[in-house]
Amino acid sequence: MTDLFAAIEGTTLAAWVRESPSIWAYATILTLHTVGLAIVVGVNAVVDLRLLGWAPRIAVASLPALFPIMWVGFAINFASGMLLFIADATTKSGQRVFYVKLVCITLALLVARTIAKHLRQPDEGHLRALAMLSLFLWAGAIVAGRLMAYL
Amino acid sequence: MVDLLPFAQWLRATPASDWINSSRWLWPLCESLHFIGLSLLIGITGFFDLRLIGFFRRVSIAAARDLMPFALMGFGLNVATGVVFLLGLPEQYVNNPVWWYKVGFLATAGLNALIYETRLSARVLALAPGDDPPAAVRMIGFVSLVSWFAVLYCGRMLAFIGDAF
Repeated sequence: MTDLFAAIEGTTLAAWVRESPSIWAYATILTLHTVGLAIVVGVNAVVDLRLLGWAPRIAVASLPALFPIMWVGFAINFASGMLLFIADATTKSGQRVFYVKLVCITLALLVARTIAKHLRQPDEGHLRALAMLSLFLWAGAIVAGRLMAYL
Repeated sequence: MVDLLPFAQWLRATPASDWINSSRWLWPLCESLHFIGLSLLIGITGFFDLRLIGFFRRVSIAAARDLMPFALMGFGLNVATGVVFLLGLPEQYVNNPVWWYKVGFLATAGLNALIYETRLSARVLALAPGDDPPAAVRMIGFVSLVSWFAVLYCGRMLAFIGDAF
Protein backbone atom coordinates (compact mmCIF):
# COMPACT_ATOMS: atom_id res chain seq x y z
CA MET A 1 0.00 0.00 0.00
CA THR A 2 2.78 2.43 0.93
CA ASP A 3 4.51 1.65 -2.37
CA LEU A 4 1.31 2.43 -4.22
CA PHE A 5 0.91 5.80 -2.49
CA ALA A 6 4.58 6.61 -3.11
CA ALA A 7 4.09 5.76 -6.80
CA ILE A 8 1.02 8.00 -6.99
CA GLU A 9 2.94 10.79 -5.33
CA GLY A 10 5.74 10.34 -7.87
CA THR A 11 3.58 10.92 -10.94
CA THR A 12 4.08 14.04 -13.04
CA LEU A 13 0.58 15.27 -12.20
CA ALA A 14 1.16 14.90 -8.45
CA ALA A 15 4.50 16.66 -8.70
CA TRP A 16 2.90 19.49 -10.67
CA VAL A 17 0.20 20.02 -8.04
CA ARG A 18 2.80 19.95 -5.26
CA GLU A 19 5.71 21.80 -6.75
CA SER A 20 4.60 24.06 -9.58
CA PRO A 21 5.13 27.72 -8.71
CA SER A 22 2.07 28.47 -10.87
CA ILE A 23 -0.87 30.05 -9.09
CA TRP A 24 -3.05 27.53 -10.98
CA ALA A 25 -1.49 24.55 -9.23
CA TYR A 26 -1.71 23.96 -5.47
CA ALA A 27 -3.14 27.37 -4.51
CA THR A 28 -6.04 27.33 -6.98
CA ILE A 29 -6.86 23.67 -6.37
CA LEU A 30 -6.96 24.27 -2.61
CA THR A 31 -9.14 27.34 -3.11
CA LEU A 32 -11.51 25.38 -5.39
CA HIS A 33 -11.76 22.80 -2.60
CA THR A 34 -13.01 25.58 -0.30
CA VAL A 35 -15.43 26.89 -2.97
CA GLY A 36 -16.88 23.39 -3.38
CA LEU A 37 -17.09 22.96 0.40
CA ALA A 38 -19.09 26.17 0.72
CA ILE A 39 -21.49 24.97 -1.99
CA VAL A 40 -21.93 21.41 -0.68
CA VAL A 41 -22.22 22.29 3.00
CA GLY A 42 -24.13 25.50 2.29
CA VAL A 43 -26.81 23.78 0.20
CA ASN A 44 -27.10 21.02 2.77
CA ALA A 45 -27.50 23.62 5.52
CA VAL A 46 -30.41 25.21 3.64
CA VAL A 47 -32.14 21.84 3.20
CA ASP A 48 -31.38 20.67 6.76
CA LEU A 49 -32.49 23.89 8.47
CA ARG A 50 -35.76 23.81 6.52
CA LEU A 51 -36.34 20.18 7.48
CA LEU A 52 -35.68 21.04 11.11
CA GLY A 53 -38.66 23.38 10.93
CA TRP A 54 -37.10 26.77 10.20
CA ALA A 55 -38.43 28.97 7.37
CA PRO A 56 -41.75 27.07 7.03
CA ARG A 57 -42.79 29.33 4.13
CA ILE A 58 -40.27 27.50 1.94
CA ALA A 59 -42.25 24.50 0.64
CA VAL A 60 -40.45 21.21 1.35
CA ALA A 61 -41.49 20.17 -2.18
CA SER A 62 -39.22 22.89 -3.61
CA LEU A 63 -36.09 21.51 -1.88
CA PRO A 64 -35.23 18.81 -4.45
CA ALA A 65 -34.39 21.63 -6.90
CA LEU A 66 -31.37 22.41 -4.68
CA PHE A 67 -29.73 19.00 -4.94
CA PRO A 68 -28.20 19.46 -8.42
CA ILE A 69 -26.26 22.45 -7.04
CA MET A 70 -25.00 20.31 -4.19
CA TRP A 71 -23.77 17.68 -6.67
CA VAL A 72 -21.91 20.34 -8.66
CA GLY A 73 -20.16 21.39 -5.44
CA PHE A 74 -19.40 17.78 -4.68
CA ALA A 75 -17.94 17.19 -8.15
CA ILE A 76 -15.62 20.20 -7.65
CA ASN A 77 -14.50 18.80 -4.31
CA PHE A 78 -14.09 15.24 -5.50
CA ALA A 79 -11.82 16.40 -8.35
CA SER A 80 -9.86 18.95 -6.29
CA GLY A 81 -9.68 16.53 -3.36
CA MET A 82 -8.17 13.80 -5.54
CA LEU A 83 -5.52 16.21 -6.81
CA LEU A 84 -4.69 17.38 -3.29
CA PHE A 85 -4.48 13.77 -2.14
CA ILE A 86 -2.14 12.51 -4.88
CA ALA A 87 0.17 15.49 -4.31
CA ASP A 88 0.77 14.30 -0.77
CA ALA A 89 -0.45 10.69 -0.84
CA THR A 90 2.02 9.06 1.58
CA THR A 91 1.46 11.64 4.32
CA LYS A 92 -2.30 11.92 3.91
CA SER A 93 -2.88 8.18 3.68
CA GLY A 94 -1.10 7.84 7.01
CA GLN A 95 -3.25 10.41 8.79
CA ARG A 96 -6.02 8.94 10.92
CA VAL A 97 -7.98 12.19 10.79
CA PHE A 98 -8.09 11.89 6.98
CA TYR A 99 -10.09 8.67 7.34
CA VAL A 100 -12.37 10.36 9.88
CA LYS A 101 -13.02 13.02 7.21
CA LEU A 102 -13.72 10.40 4.52
CA VAL A 103 -16.13 8.50 6.79
CA CYS A 104 -17.97 11.74 7.68
CA ILE A 105 -18.31 12.65 3.99
CA THR A 106 -19.45 9.16 2.93
CA LEU A 107 -22.08 9.04 5.66
CA ALA A 108 -23.18 12.64 4.97
CA LEU A 109 -23.64 11.81 1.27
CA LEU A 110 -25.66 8.70 2.12
CA VAL A 111 -27.81 10.84 4.43
CA ALA A 112 -28.25 13.46 1.68
CA ARG A 113 -29.32 10.77 -0.78
CA THR A 114 -31.77 9.34 1.73
CA ILE A 115 -33.16 12.83 2.37
CA ALA A 116 -33.56 13.39 -1.38
CA LYS A 117 -35.44 10.08 -1.66
CA HIS A 118 -37.69 10.81 1.34
CA LEU A 119 -38.60 14.29 0.10
CA ARG A 120 -40.87 12.64 -2.43
CA GLN A 121 -42.98 11.12 0.37
CA PRO A 122 -42.24 13.41 3.31
CA ASP A 123 -42.20 11.81 6.74
CA GLU A 124 -41.45 14.77 9.00
CA GLY A 125 -40.07 12.98 12.05
CA HIS A 126 -37.69 10.82 10.05
CA LEU A 127 -36.50 13.79 7.98
CA ARG A 128 -35.77 15.87 11.08
CA ALA A 129 -33.46 13.20 12.45
CA LEU A 130 -31.69 12.89 9.10
CA ALA A 131 -31.32 16.69 8.84
CA MET A 132 -29.74 16.86 12.30
CA LEU A 133 -27.39 14.01 11.43
CA SER A 134 -26.46 15.73 8.17
CA LEU A 135 -25.47 18.98 9.92
CA PHE A 136 -23.28 17.12 12.41
CA LEU A 137 -21.59 14.99 9.74
CA TRP A 138 -20.74 17.99 7.52
CA ALA A 139 -19.42 19.94 10.50
CA GLY A 140 -17.37 16.85 11.40
CA ALA A 141 -15.98 16.65 7.86
CA ILE A 142 -14.96 20.32 8.01
CA VAL A 143 -13.24 20.00 11.39
CA ALA A 144 -11.45 16.78 10.38
CA GLY A 145 -10.35 18.37 7.10
CA ARG A 146 -8.96 21.41 8.88
CA LEU A 147 -7.17 19.25 11.46
CA MET A 148 -5.31 17.44 8.67
CA ALA A 149 -3.04 20.49 8.58
CA TYR A 150 -2.27 20.13 12.30
CA LEU A 151 -2.20 16.45 13.26
CA MET B 1 -1.29 55.03 1.68
CA VAL B 2 -1.12 55.02 5.48
CA ASP B 3 1.53 52.66 6.80
CA LEU B 4 -0.28 50.25 9.08
CA LEU B 5 2.78 48.25 10.03
CA PRO B 6 3.44 50.11 13.32
CA PHE B 7 -0.18 49.54 14.29
CA ALA B 8 0.10 45.86 13.37
CA GLN B 9 3.30 45.55 15.43
CA TRP B 10 1.59 47.23 18.36
CA LEU B 11 -1.33 44.79 18.04
CA ARG B 12 1.06 41.84 17.92
CA ALA B 13 2.65 43.01 21.18
CA THR B 14 -0.66 43.02 23.09
CA PRO B 15 -1.35 40.28 25.68
CA ALA B 16 -4.39 39.19 23.62
CA SER B 17 -2.15 38.48 20.64
CA ASP B 18 0.32 36.59 22.82
CA TRP B 19 -2.46 34.51 24.27
CA ILE B 20 -3.78 33.60 20.80
CA ASN B 21 -0.31 32.54 19.69
CA SER B 22 0.42 30.58 22.84
CA SER B 23 -2.60 28.34 22.46
CA ARG B 24 -1.96 25.29 20.33
CA TRP B 25 -5.60 24.54 19.51
CA LEU B 26 -7.23 27.96 19.35
CA TRP B 27 -6.08 28.62 15.78
CA PRO B 28 -7.31 25.33 14.25
CA LEU B 29 -10.53 25.63 16.27
CA CYS B 30 -11.15 29.12 14.91
CA GLU B 31 -10.29 27.96 11.38
CA SER B 32 -12.84 25.14 11.66
CA LEU B 33 -15.48 27.58 12.90
CA HIS B 34 -14.52 30.03 10.13
CA PHE B 35 -15.20 27.31 7.53
CA ILE B 36 -18.50 26.33 9.15
CA GLY B 37 -19.51 30.00 9.28
CA LEU B 38 -18.63 30.60 5.64
CA SER B 39 -20.67 27.56 4.59
CA LEU B 40 -23.74 28.90 6.39
CA LEU B 41 -23.21 32.39 5.03
CA ILE B 42 -22.57 31.39 1.41
CA GLY B 43 -25.18 28.63 1.35
CA ILE B 44 -28.02 30.73 2.68
CA THR B 45 -27.22 34.04 0.98
CA GLY B 46 -26.39 32.11 -2.21
CA PHE B 47 -29.84 30.49 -2.16
CA PHE B 48 -31.45 33.91 -1.71
CA ASP B 49 -29.25 35.47 -4.42
CA LEU B 50 -30.17 32.74 -6.90
CA ARG B 51 -33.84 33.39 -6.10
CA LEU B 52 -33.35 37.11 -6.76
CA ILE B 53 -31.68 36.26 -10.06
CA GLY B 54 -34.70 34.15 -11.02
CA PHE B 55 -34.06 30.54 -9.96
CA PHE B 56 -36.37 28.52 -7.63
CA ARG B 57 -39.48 30.47 -8.60
CA ARG B 58 -41.73 28.15 -6.62
CA VAL B 59 -40.28 29.77 -3.50
CA SER B 60 -41.40 33.37 -2.94
CA ILE B 61 -38.59 35.89 -2.44
CA ALA B 62 -39.97 36.65 1.02
CA ALA B 63 -39.77 32.96 1.97
CA ALA B 64 -36.27 32.56 0.49
CA ARG B 65 -35.12 35.27 2.89
CA ASP B 66 -36.47 33.50 5.99
CA LEU B 67 -33.22 31.62 6.67
CA MET B 68 -31.18 34.85 6.64
CA PRO B 69 -30.76 34.90 10.47
CA PHE B 70 -28.58 31.78 10.05
CA ALA B 71 -26.49 33.55 7.42
CA LEU B 72 -26.01 36.41 9.87
CA MET B 73 -25.03 33.86 12.51
CA GLY B 74 -22.42 32.49 10.11
CA PHE B 75 -21.22 36.02 9.42
CA GLY B 76 -20.98 36.78 13.15
CA LEU B 77 -19.00 33.58 13.69
CA ASN B 78 -16.62 34.61 10.91
CA VAL B 79 -16.15 38.15 12.18
CA ALA B 80 -15.35 36.80 15.66
CA THR B 81 -12.91 34.15 14.42
CA GLY B 82 -11.52 36.59 11.85
CA VAL B 83 -10.67 39.02 14.65
CA VAL B 84 -8.75 36.20 16.37
CA PHE B 85 -6.67 35.66 13.19
CA LEU B 86 -6.08 39.37 12.77
CA LEU B 87 -5.03 39.82 16.40
CA GLY B 88 -2.84 36.73 16.26
CA LEU B 89 -0.86 37.62 13.13
CA PRO B 90 -1.66 41.25 12.24
CA GLU B 91 1.45 41.90 10.11
CA GLN B 92 0.56 39.06 7.77
CA TYR B 93 -2.81 40.56 6.96
CA VAL B 94 -2.41 44.34 6.87
CA ASN B 95 0.62 43.98 4.60
CA ASN B 96 -1.10 41.69 2.16
CA PRO B 97 -2.95 43.36 -0.75
CA VAL B 98 -5.14 40.25 -1.15
CA TRP B 99 -6.45 40.74 2.38
CA TRP B 100 -7.43 44.29 1.42
CA TYR B 101 -9.22 42.95 -1.68
CA LYS B 102 -11.09 40.68 0.69
CA VAL B 103 -12.07 43.65 2.85
CA GLY B 104 -13.14 45.49 -0.35
CA PHE B 105 -15.37 42.62 -1.46
CA LEU B 106 -16.83 42.38 2.05
CA ALA B 107 -17.70 46.08 1.87
CA THR B 108 -19.21 45.56 -1.61
CA ALA B 109 -21.37 42.68 -0.37
CA GLY B 110 -22.45 44.73 2.65
CA LEU B 111 -23.29 47.84 0.66
CA ASN B 112 -25.14 45.75 -1.91
CA ALA B 113 -27.27 44.14 0.82
CA LEU B 114 -27.91 47.57 2.34
CA ILE B 115 -29.13 48.94 -1.01
CA TYR B 116 -31.43 45.95 -1.35
CA GLU B 117 -32.87 46.25 2.15
CA THR B 118 -33.37 50.00 2.08
CA ARG B 119 -34.33 50.66 -1.55
CA LEU B 120 -35.70 47.52 -3.16
CA SER B 121 -37.00 45.06 -0.61
CA ALA B 122 -40.48 46.61 -0.23
CA ARG B 123 -41.09 46.58 -3.99
CA VAL B 124 -39.90 42.98 -4.28
CA LEU B 125 -42.12 41.68 -1.48
CA ALA B 126 -45.16 43.05 -3.35
CA LEU B 127 -44.42 40.76 -6.34
CA ALA B 128 -46.57 37.70 -6.94
CA PRO B 129 -44.69 34.33 -6.81
CA GLY B 130 -44.41 33.86 -10.59
CA ASP B 131 -43.47 37.47 -11.42
CA ASP B 132 -40.09 38.31 -12.92
CA PRO B 133 -37.98 40.32 -10.47
CA PRO B 134 -36.96 43.75 -11.83
CA ALA B 135 -33.50 44.01 -13.43
CA ALA B 136 -32.11 45.97 -10.47
CA VAL B 137 -33.04 43.12 -8.14
CA ARG B 138 -31.42 40.50 -10.35
CA MET B 139 -28.31 42.67 -10.36
CA ILE B 140 -28.32 42.75 -6.54
CA GLY B 141 -28.44 38.95 -6.48
CA PHE B 142 -25.62 38.69 -8.99
CA VAL B 143 -23.37 41.21 -7.23
CA SER B 144 -23.97 39.47 -3.89
CA LEU B 145 -23.15 36.02 -5.26
CA VAL B 146 -19.97 37.23 -6.98
CA SER B 147 -18.75 39.31 -4.04
CA TRP B 148 -19.22 36.57 -1.42
CA PHE B 149 -17.33 34.06 -3.54
CA ALA B 150 -14.67 36.73 -4.12
CA VAL B 151 -14.38 37.18 -0.34
CA LEU B 152 -13.87 33.43 -0.01
CA TYR B 153 -11.38 33.36 -2.91
CA CYS B 154 -9.27 36.20 -1.48
CA GLY B 155 -9.41 34.71 2.01
CA ARG B 156 -8.11 31.37 0.84
CA MET B 157 -5.61 32.79 -1.65
CA LEU B 158 -4.05 35.34 0.67
CA ALA B 159 -1.71 32.66 1.91
CA PHE B 160 -0.32 32.27 -1.61
CA ILE B 161 -0.42 35.72 -3.23
CA GLY B 162 1.40 38.80 -2.07
CA ASP B 163 4.05 36.73 -0.22
CA ALA B 164 3.19 37.99 3.25
CA PHE B 165 3.29 34.40 4.51
